[in-house]
Amino acid sequence: MTDPLALDPVLPARERSQLPFNDAALDHDERYRHFEEHVTGGGKVEATDWMPDEYRTQVLRFVEMHANSELMGVLPEREWIMRAPTLRRKLALTAKVQDEVGHAQLLYRVAEDLGKPREAMIQDLLAGKTKFHNVFHYPTKSWADIGIIAWLVDAAAIVAQQALRDSSYAPYARTMRKICWEESVHIMHGRDVVVTMVTGTPAQRASIQEALDRWWGPLMQMHGPRSDRSKDRDIHWKIKAKTSEELRQEFLGIYVPRIWELGLTLPDPNLGLDPATGEWRYTEPDWNELRRVVTNHGPKSEERLQFRRDNWAATQWVRDAILAAPRAAA
Amino acid sequence: MTESEPVERIAMDFTDAGDGRERAIALLLLSMADDEFVIGFSDSEWTGIGPILEEDVAISSLAQDELGHAQALYRLFAEVVADGRDADAVAYDRPAEGYLHARLLDHGRGDWAATIARRYLYETADAARLAALAETSFEPLRDLVAKIRREERYHLMHVEAWLDRLAEAGGEPRRRLMVALEAMGPDAGTVLALLPGEPALLRHGILAEPFAAVESTWRARVDGTFGRLGLAALPATRDPGTARTRHSHAFRALHHEFTMVRGSEAAATW
Repeated sequence: MTDPLALDPVLPARERSQLPFNDAALDHDERYRHFEEHVTGGGKVEATDWMPDEYRTQVLRFVEMHANSELMGVLPEREWIMRAPTLRRKLALTAKVQDEVGHAQLLYRVAEDLGKPREAMIQDLLAGKTKFHNVFHYPTKSWADIGIIAWLVDAAAIVAQQALRDSSYAPYARTMRKICWEESVHIMHGRDVVVTMVTGTPAQRASIQEALDRWWGPLMQMHGPRSDRSKDRDIHWKIKAKTSEELRQEFLGIYVPRIWELGLTLPDPNLGLDPATGEWRYTEPDWNELRRVVTNHGPKSEERLQFRRDNWAATQWVRDAILAAPRAAA
Repeated sequence: MTESEPVERIAMDFTDAGDGRERAIALLLLSMADDEFVIGFSDSEWTGIGPILEEDVAISSLAQDELGHAQALYRLFAEVVADGRDADAVAYDRPAEGYLHARLLDHGRGDWAATIARRYLYETADAARLAALAETSFEPLRDLVAKIRREERYHLMHVEAWLDRLAEAGGEPRRRLMVALEAMGPDAGTVLALLPGEPALLRHGILAEPFAAVESTWRARVDGTFGRLGLAALPATRDPGTARTRHSHAFRALHHEFTMVRGSEAAATW
């Protein structure tokens, strides 16, 4: 499902060619200054524009990690495609996982344009040289996890992703519009699984609560530790718009009341809205766990990477056959 | 094993199914639905681990189409049988030996060449079966077949492109394809094996021609393609009397997996 507006160009070609940093006659420092002025003033950058190395590297790293996360993120849910308990759930889960694979494909294409081939990105991921999001390093233990992941992990992700629809890097911003459109459908699917089980048998309800308790820690860590806005280069270049804490507060503000509304509890006695500041208070997340997990020392990191390596190796012959130069016509 | 056995199995499921016409229609619908259900499961195993991201997305769509067809066919079956069970109950709540899919689909997912071989053999046989049902006198099925054929057209284009590519690539791709075709070849014709209700289907204008004639049309098409690609011709169907019974260990393992959550709590809504 694609939002038709998602494919509109952010910046018309004629306007782009007149941007001063695209003028090859200027020296590097002048171009850099014009580029910085353009971006910090809210201007967009296209793949064909001149850009400083720092900007290119920063966007590439950001998009590559996002692409890796989509690709690795299919594995925890994929295990349950075969176990989905009804035809409707089976279709919805297959479609959701398919969407994530599609997002990986779109994002690797955005990243490729910045100079790193897809094959190199996959190899770096498989070798453990690049990262993927913390939540995809954890096991899925029951069908309830499928509801919690699609509802809350995708919700935490969409809070961050909605803020990327206005990224300074226009190809990324356009891709995020399509991705957000699809993610919002995933959240509805996840919430439906959760509500069905919460209103089902006592065992189903208990299973949802157990999954929520297990996922809460990783969810609170997902956006990362607080950071200094003025020192964040991704914010300086307007690749992203919001800090970790702003995203976490937004997530808590929308979803904690919805979780409580279902009669579910959250495993944090300090969680609550501070009426004086309007901010959510919470027990400090375990940042050591986050650091351990994203450096591939999480409970499922190695197993998932090995699973990817094995499948990549087992299908190498297909890529060799298909991506090879076509044989001359007889 | 006699060819009446599937009828007895079906009879366990609906004892009041009418004069033979309804029973024959139900048997046809259930065998088609189970075919689509099982191949949909095998194909969906590729979701997330396809050989190329673009192909991963494509095979997921194919799997969803097949499962959607299965769902529509199970619904129609449930309407014909009208014993109060819904499509999910029909699809999931049977013991493994109660499924009526063709033995071709008992072959597990395998490698990409096996997936292409199984899809090619099934899709071409299914296309021949659907053609024989295009003018069926059973109106709800006629409408559904028209819809399914619109989608299956693209499935055929997809799998024929892959078959050509693997066969013409030579080397490892061709070798793997030949291994898969050799393993599945004797079971390929099981999709079009005689159904016990065939006389009633023909008498009531449900099916345009006997399955033997449908199978001849299909074999001519496959022979033409395999001849062009220099692949060995398909052998005759092995043990056609048990074409849709006596399922493999691979299917029993699949059945165990797809009933795991649903069977964990009887009577729960999912």
